[in-house]
Amino acid sequence: MSNPFTSIIKGVVINEISETTTTKTITIKLVNGSMNPMPGQFNMLYVFGLGEVPISISNLYPGKRDIVEHTIRFVGAVTRAMIKAIRVGSQIGVRGPYGNKWPLEEAEGSDILIVSGGIGFAPLRPVVKYIIMNRERFRRVNILYGARTPEEFLYKYELEEYSKIPNSKFLLSIDKPYPGWTGYVGFVTDLIKYTDVDTGNSYTFVCGPEIMMKVAVKKLLERGFRKDKIFLSMERRMRCGVGICGTCQFGHLFVCKNGPIFRYSEIENYINVEGI
Amino acid sequence: MQLYRGGIEDIINIYNIVKEFLKADVYGYKRYGNSLVFDFIESSSELPIDVHVVQRPGFYRVSRGFGFIHSSHSPKNLLYPFKQELFRVDQELNIKTLENSLKPVILFGIKPCDVAAINVFDKLFGNNFNPYYLNRRRSVVGIVVEECLNPGETCFCSTMGTGPDARNGFDLAFAKVDRDLVIFKAGSSLGEKIVAKANLQKASDDDVKRYEILLEEAKRKTNLGIGVEDIQTSLEKSITDVELWRKVSEKCVGCANCNMVCPTCFCSEIVDDVVGDEAVRIMQLIGCLSYTYGLVAGGHFRKELYTRYRHFILHKFVFYPKQIDLFGCVGCGRCTVWCPVGIDIRETVKTVASRYRG
Ligand SMILES: Cc1cc2nc3c(=O)[nH]c(=O)nc-3n(C[C@H](O)[C@H](O)[C@H](O)COP(=O)(O)OP(=O)(O)OC[C@H]3O[C@@H](n4cnc5c(N)ncnc54)[C@H](O)[C@@H]3O)c2cc1C
Ligand code: SF4
Ligand code: SF4
Ligand code: FES
Repeated sequence: MSNPFTSIIKGVVINEISETTTTKTITIKLVNGSMNPMPGQFNMLYVFGLGEVPISISNLYPGKRDIVEHTIRFVGAVTRAMIKAIRVGSQIGVRGPYGNKWPLEEAEGSDILIVSGGIGFAPLRPVVKYIIMNRERFRRVNILYGARTPEEFLYKYELEEYSKIPNSKFLLSIDKPYPGWTGYVGFVTDLIKYTDVDTGNSYTFVCGPEIMMKVAVKKLLERGFRKDKIFLSMERRMRCGVGICGTCQFGHLFVCKNGPIFRYSEIENYINVEGI
Repeated sequence: MQLYRGGIEDIINIYNIVKEFLKADVYGYKRYGNSLVFDFIESSSELPIDVHVVQRPGFYRVSRGFGFIHSSHSPKNLLYPFKQELFRVDQELNIKTLENSLKPVILFGIKPCDVAAINVFDKLFGNNFNPYYLNRRRSVVGIVVEECLNPGETCFCSTMGTGPDARNGFDLAFAKVDRDLVIFKAGSSLGEKIVAKANLQKASDDDVKRYEILLEEAKRKTNLGIGVEDIQTSLEKSITDVELWRKVSEKCVGCANCNMVCPTCFCSEIVDDVVGDEAVRIMQLIGCLSYTYGLVAGGHFRKELYTRYRHFILHKFVFYPKQIDLFGCVGCGRCTVWCPVGIDIRETVKTVASRYRG
């Protein structure tokens, strides 16, 4: 086996899209390596001299093993450098893909429900793209996506396309009333009551702030969704991505290796325990 | 198992034999001024033979005597150093890796609990492939263990099934019964060869009896009086008992000394040290008890101290078994000895067990 730490592929940013004031999507061309990441997986992105951070795959480029895309929100040192200093033509290190994937094969033939909030939509965008490309493999599809304000939605240039997926429902929410907004106002988890997928036979994929995921699970269970068919993408502080540094432990689980996606029934004893 | 007899001079003789015979660097506990470190042993005069240590919660003293236990160091210092360089990278993202052929190493005089801790790392870093650890580990060509007939006050290896006698994963073991009688046993064919080279005599029935009496006594002293399964199941039940965890961690100051001295604590952070136009990627230990462990911009995954202390304990007794099917605590007592406020891991597990057992 090769050394995971030194397997950094050189990447060059070939496109950037400013999504919100604090978020940007970058498309990276891999110069001396390739990969075939799956929806739900992440890469460790490296900025010279600053460090590495785990960032989800946020788009699919079928057949193009030398292109990856990531959507990054500025929160701290490394992500700030990515937002402020990385431009088209900049170099960035890419190590991965790591982690498991959304269970799209297991979900074939079933209804799909997506519940997402904020930057948490980024790892679910490849799922939506996959559904669009393979529409016949799934039954009814519902997508719920919440943001603080209308400006905070990612991929505004694509949302229209999502709303046109056949046999589907696409619902947006914002936290507080906003001039010109005619859609739902409130928490995205409130939208769970408007879903019309078959609860007993639906796969639900959830990603967002931890508190939002907890509320989502509660509401889903109340509506009769099955806990072995609810999947959450968990976040923990990560430093290595491959099960060596130990700092992403969530109970006995290494989020980087055993996750980041977990079946709810696998983590139900942990999810409500503070600081586990 | 065949036991052999010798004296203190045979320990020194064997030190010389393994060094010559295996052409290896010898690493082990050695005297360094008034303290004991785990390092390269250049000469047999550095071996901690005439050393006695007293260990209690929050207390460690070295004096002259007989019956060395261990120190704040362990083989972790060699196999999983506090700071390790991973690689260097330049601004163009060209990577320079280190020369990775290491000189053969013998671990000499390490303790049964140390061997158990190495087993934990072997399994963890075999499953979660860690080339740096495995490379260092492969350089170890022999392990000589000193059994503990005079265990420390804080040791509970008998409960954890890791000591005070050598169990597996060693080549040769010795036990100091007194100045004139040292019992040796081989744990591998290499150990047999060393015994033959050292010309050791078979131990007499009387020698064996004297050894066994002391060993039984040592086992009794290092037994907590509760079964490890009881500890495990009660800890598992206590996870949501915030009040209990606040209470047992009440005195903790979050210094992470326990993590640093624990032979199985490995959690690390990776930092860039920029030197000229190169960045050195360095992996360094970061204890789960330290505040920065789960800290992220705009949040914290284990903000409250009790959650960090709870993770330390649960990892050893509940999570490690789920991760690698071995306990992560080897009962060495180091965390208790080097805790500045003397928080005693034995008290913690007993408190939890008394509330949740059965
Ligand atoms: C599986 C996974 C997927 C993610 N996907 C995305 C994504 O698609 N887009 C996005 O914007 N963010 C994502 N994040 C969060 C992102 O990794 C953090 O926001 C980022 O690491 C913050 O780094 P920083 O240096 O800017 O912040 P600081 O807090 O200053 O970071 C210091 C170090 O902490 C670590 N760190 C900090 N925050 C986190 C965190 N939340 N999770 C893990 N490690 C952290 C990093 O190692 C970083 O180098 C993801 C996190 C995980 C675990
Ligand atoms: S937890 Fe304490 S007693 Fe157990 S192995 Fe670590 S330092 Fe030793
Ligand atoms: S050594 Fe003691 S005070 Fe320091 S973090 Fe560990 S338990 Fe807390
Ligand atoms: S990120 Fe290092 S173990 Fe998971």
